[in-house]
Amino acid sequence: MPRLSMLIDLTRCIGCDACTLACKQENGTPFDTFFARVLNVEVGTYPDVKRLYIPVLCNHCDDAPCLKSCPNKAIIRRPDGIVLVDQDRCRGTGACVSACPYGNIILNREPDSWYLDEDEPYEKDFVKARLKPNVARKCTYCAHRVDQGLKPACVVACPTTARIFGDLEDEASDISQYVAQERETTQRKPFHLLEEAGTKPAGCYLGPMSKQDPHTLHQTDAIGDAKTAEMARVPQQGAKK
Amino acid sequence: MATRHQVPGRAPTKSPSEKVRVVRTTDSPNCTGACGWLATVVDDVIVDLKPAADYPCQEYNPRGCLRGMSMTHIIYGPDRIHTPRIREGARGENKWRDVSWDEALDYIATRMIKIRDEHGPESMLLFNQVVGTGYVQKGAQVRTAALLGMSFATAYDFNGDISMGFTQTVGIDCVECETKSWAHCKTAILWSSNIFQTRIPDAKFLTTYAKQRNNCEIISIDPRCSQTSKGADQWLPINPGTDGALALSMCQVVLEAGHVDWAFLQKNTDMCTLVRDDNGMRLRASDVGMGTDAEFVAWDKSSDGPFKLPMDSLRLPDGIELAFIGAREVLLQNGQRIKVTPVFELIQQEVMQPQYSPEAVAKVCDIPAETIRSVAIRYATERPSSIIIGMGINHRLHGDLTIRSVLLLATLVGAHGRPGESVSIYSGQHHFRLDVSPWWFPGGKRPNSVPMHYFVLGEPTKSINPKIKFPKNGFKALIVSHANPLVTEFSAPLKRAIDNLDLFVAIDFSMTPTCEYADIVLPAPTFWEKVDLVGTSCHPYLQIQQAVVPPQYDSRTEMWMMQEILKRVDPEKAAMLDYTEQDAIRIMLEGGGKEVEGITLEQLEKGPVRLKVHDPECGLDEQLHEDKLFPPRAYPFPEGAQREFLKTGRMEFYKEEDIFQKMGETIPTFHWAFEHLPRSAQEMPLAIVTPHSKWRVHSTHCNNPFLRNLNRKPVVEINPRDAAQRGINDGDKVEIYNEFGAYELWALVTETIKPGVVCVDHGWWDRYLASGKYHSVHTYQKVKPTHEAYFLPAVYAPGQHWKDTRVDVRRAK
Repeated sequence: MPRLSMLIDLTRCIGCDACTLACKQENGTPFDTFFARVLNVEVGTYPDVKRLYIPVLCNHCDDAPCLKSCPNKAIIRRPDGIVLVDQDRCRGTGACVSACPYGNIILNREPDSWYLDEDEPYEKDFVKARLKPNVARKCTYCAHRVDQGLKPACVVACPTTARIFGDLEDEASDISQYVAQERETTQRKPFHLLEEAGTKPAGCYLGPMSKQDPHTLHQTDAIGDAKTAEMARVPQQGAKK
Repeated sequence: MATRHQVPGRAPTKSPSEKVRVVRTTDSPNCTGACGWLATVVDDVIVDLKPAADYPCQEYNPRGCLRGMSMTHIIYGPDRIHTPRIREGARGENKWRDVSWDEALDYIATRMIKIRDEHGPESMLLFNQVVGTGYVQKGAQVRTAALLGMSFATAYDFNGDISMGFTQTVGIDCVECETKSWAHCKTAILWSSNIFQTRIPDAKFLTTYAKQRNNCEIISIDPRCSQTSKGADQWLPINPGTDGALALSMCQVVLEAGHVDWAFLQKNTDMCTLVRDDNGMRLRASDVGMGTDAEFVAWDKSSDGPFKLPMDSLRLPDGIELAFIGAREVLLQNGQRIKVTPVFELIQQEVMQPQYSPEAVAKVCDIPAETIRSVAIRYATERPSSIIIGMGINHRLHGDLTIRSVLLLATLVGAHGRPGESVSIYSGQHHFRLDVSPWWFPGGKRPNSVPMHYFVLGEPTKSINPKIKFPKNGFKALIVSHANPLVTEFSAPLKRAIDNLDLFVAIDFSMTPTCEYADIVLPAPTFWEKVDLVGTSCHPYLQIQQAVVPPQYDSRTEMWMMQEILKRVDPEKAAMLDYTEQDAIRIMLEGGGKEVEGITLEQLEKGPVRLKVHDPECGLDEQLHEDKLFPPRAYPFPEGAQREFLKTGRMEFYKEEDIFQKMGETIPTFHWAFEHLPRSAQEMPLAIVTPHSKWRVHSTHCNNPFLRNLNRKPVVEINPRDAAQRGINDGDKVEIYNEFGAYELWALVTETIKPGVVCVDHGWWDRYLASGKYHSVHTYQKVKPTHEAYFLPAVYAPGQHWKDTRVDVRRAK
C-alpha cells in the first residue's frame, strides 16, 4: 500500500511563503484562506533571540480525527493515504475543524471574498470555479496533480526544495531516499508535529542545522510543540482587509 | 471513487473550445532574479505560473518566488492602467481624462518639439528603471534618447546601489560570483545582506548546499535578527553605521595573526606601489626615468632596485620579490631626492592603530572583542570564505569607505576568485551581460548622461565633474519609465524639481504615486506581455522573455511607443528605430562581445543559454585566472574607459587624487556613518534601517492584493526596551519623525531588533500608511565630492546615503 507523505526540511526552509502562494494559486482559495502556511516563530530575548519558520499544512493523518468526526461521512481517505473533504457531501457542520489538532481545516462562515475586480476573467472564469463555497476545505496534497503524476504545487514551487514528496512505502521514492540519506550524512531523523495527539500524521520534518535555530539553544521545545509555535508571534499578522 | 470529483484545485471540465498553451518565459523585475517560468494560458488568460526548472545546471532548479508567482494579481490587478490618460487638474490632484493613443502621443510630441527648439534636446531627461533587467524595451528608450540628443539618467546611481567602494578599489561598481559558487563556502559572512528575503531563488546555495552539504558556518552581521539570521550560525547585532570599524578591526586581527596572502597582494594589488611623501602621489615610472607616467614602480628586493610594474598583464617575472615594507629615498629624474613608502606600510600603519583593536572596536560596534577575533580568524582560515554585502552598509555617505575596508579584509587573506571565495554585492542591476551598445547607441551616439542627483538638486554642485553637461537652461521635461522615484526618500525635493518642468511623462503598468503626479500616463505591458532579452548577475544564463499574452487592455510596448514618438518628433530618424524585438536581440547578440559569441536567437528560443564565462563564475575571473589587468570591463563602455580611475590596473587600496587627500580618505579608514549630520540630527535617538522585504520588489507589488492578504500593513519594528520607554505597545499606532517630516504606521514590538534601532521595510506607498508621507522622513541631500572625481555613468558616479537617517518614534495622538 502506498503512503504519500510530505517531508519539510527546516534546514532548507527560508520562510519565503512561496508555498503559501503557490497553494493559493493552484487551489484557487479566496481571501484569508490558506491551506499551506508558514509559522514565523521568534524565541528568546535580545540579543539571544532566534527565528524559526515552520511550514504547516494538512498532515493527512493515518488516524485522522477529522474523518471520524464528520457526521456526514464527507471525509475520506484514499488508498494512497490522501485525506479529502468531499465537497459534494460536506454540509459545513464544522465538526472536522474542531477535531483537527493542527488547525488545518478551514470553514468560512462568511461568503468568500476575492482579490480582483468582479469582471476580471482570471478570477471569474478560472479561479472561483475551483472551490465550492460554504464547505470545509483543506490541503489535498494536490490530489488532482498527484493523479496526473505531478507533485503538489507547493513542492514544485519551493525555491529551496525544502519539501520532499513521495511514497514512504517505496524505498526508491524521493522521500525515502532523502530520509535515508539525511540519517546517514547529517544524522537527522524525521519527526512529526504534536506526535502526542496520536493521529499518526503523514507529514514530517527534519530539524534545522544552523546554530542560530531555537532547538540548538534549548530555550524552548518550539519545534516539537506546534502549540508553542501557534502561540508565538506571527509578525505579519494584522487587521483584516 | 465518485466522492472525489470535487476536490479543491480541480477546475471544472474544460470545454473543447478552450485553447490551452504553455509558454516558457522569464520575468525581469528589478529584483534582477531573472527566473524562468512556465505560464499556462487559457483563452489568452494566464491562469497558472510555475517555475520552469529547466536550467541545464541542475542546481539552479527551480528558480522563482512568491512575487513572481503572484504576478497574475498585478497583470489583472486593480491598479492596472488601461488607457493613456492626461491630467485634468493640478499635478498630483489625480484627475484624469482617458485619451486615445494618437492624442497622447501628439500631446507629448508637440511639447517635446517646443522644448527642443527653445532649450535644446538635452533639457529633456529620460529616467528608466533599471536598464540591466531588460535590454530590448528599455534599450529602445535609450536609443531614442540618443537619437534625439536627450539627456539620460541611469537609475543605478540614483538608487544608491552603485557601490563606489568597489569602483574605487577594483574599478567597477560591483563584483558578483554566480550564486552557485556560494555552495562551496566553508565560511560565509552576510554583511547586512538578507538573502532569505531578497535572493529567494538563490538562497538554496546557502541552505541546501553550503549548510546542509558542506556544513558552512554562516555569520550574519546586521542590527536586526533578519530573516536570514534564521539560517545563520552566528548573529552579530552591530551598531548601525559602524561596519567599517568592524572590518578594519578584523583586518588588524588577520595582520597580527599573520594570515596574509602575500603572493596574492603582490600580483593583484597596489600594495607594493610607492607613495611619495612630498605630494602623496604614487611614484611613476616617468619620475625615475624608467618609463611613462602611466606606469608605476615598486621596489624589488631580489635585485634591490626599482621595478616597473607591467601594464599588459598582472603576471610578474619569476623570482621577483616586491617590498611591502620599508620607506626609502629615491632620486627623481629632476635631481630631487624624495622619500617613498609602499602602500602596504601605510595601510598597516592605519589598521594597526589602537583605535581598531578588537577591544576598542567592541565598544564602537557593540560586538564582543573575542567574537571579532574569532570571526576574523575563521574567515581567514576556514576556507573557502565568502562575503556577501547588502545595501545596509552601502546606502551611506561613507559606505564607500566601509566597502573599501571589507575588500581590504578579503584581499589581505586572498579570498577572491575561487569557488566559494568572493566579495559579492548583488546590487548590480546594471551589470550588463553583453555589450548592448549596438542596439542602444546607434552609430556610437550616446545620450547626454546626467546623474539624477543633479536633476533633484535642481542645479549642479560646485564640485560636479566637468564631464557632466548639465543643460544650460536646466531641465524642462522628464520621462520616467518602469520607475517610481516618488516612492524614494528624496521625493519631496524631486517633486519640487518636477514642478519646474513643462512636461512630465510616466510610463508604467500600475498607477503608482509617480504616475499620479504626471502630466500624462502611458500604459505599458508587464513583462508577461512583451518580448525582451534578459540577463542577471545572479546566474549566467541569458534568456528570452516572451509575450505570453498580448499587451493587455490598451497598453503598448515601449518599443512601439518610442517608434511613434520618434515619427512625430524627428521623422527623419524614424527609420533608425524601425526594428522588431527579434531584430534588436539579433543586433545585440551579433555585436555583444565574447560572452555571447555564437549564441543565437534560435538557441535562446529553446531555453536558457549559458554565457561564455567561467564555470562557476567567481567574480574577477579574467583578472585572477587570466592575469588581465583590473578592472573588469563595465559594459556598455569601451575597454579602457575605467583606466583613469584605476590607473595602476590593480586593486587599489590607495587613492592618490587631491580630493581623497583633502578628505583624508586615501586609504580605507573609519568614519561613523552619522558624523556628517548636524548635531541636532545626530542626537535623534534611533537609527532607522529600511530593508527590502520579500513582499515587494522595491515598491512593485505594494498594491498586489494577493500579497497584501499576508502582508497587511506597514509596521515599525522596535525593541521592547525602546517601546517601553515611549509607552508603546505592540500594535499601537505610532509616529516616526525627524526634522524633515513625520508619518504614522503601526508598532511591531520585537526582540529581533537591536535597541536604538527601528526598522521599516522599504517601498510602501503612502496610501497604506496610517497617515503622512513615508518619504517625508529622510536625511540631508548631498553628494560626496570623492564621487565626483571622475564620471562614468553608473560606474563612477555619486551614490546615495538614504540610510544615514535618524529618527524618533512616539505614540500617535
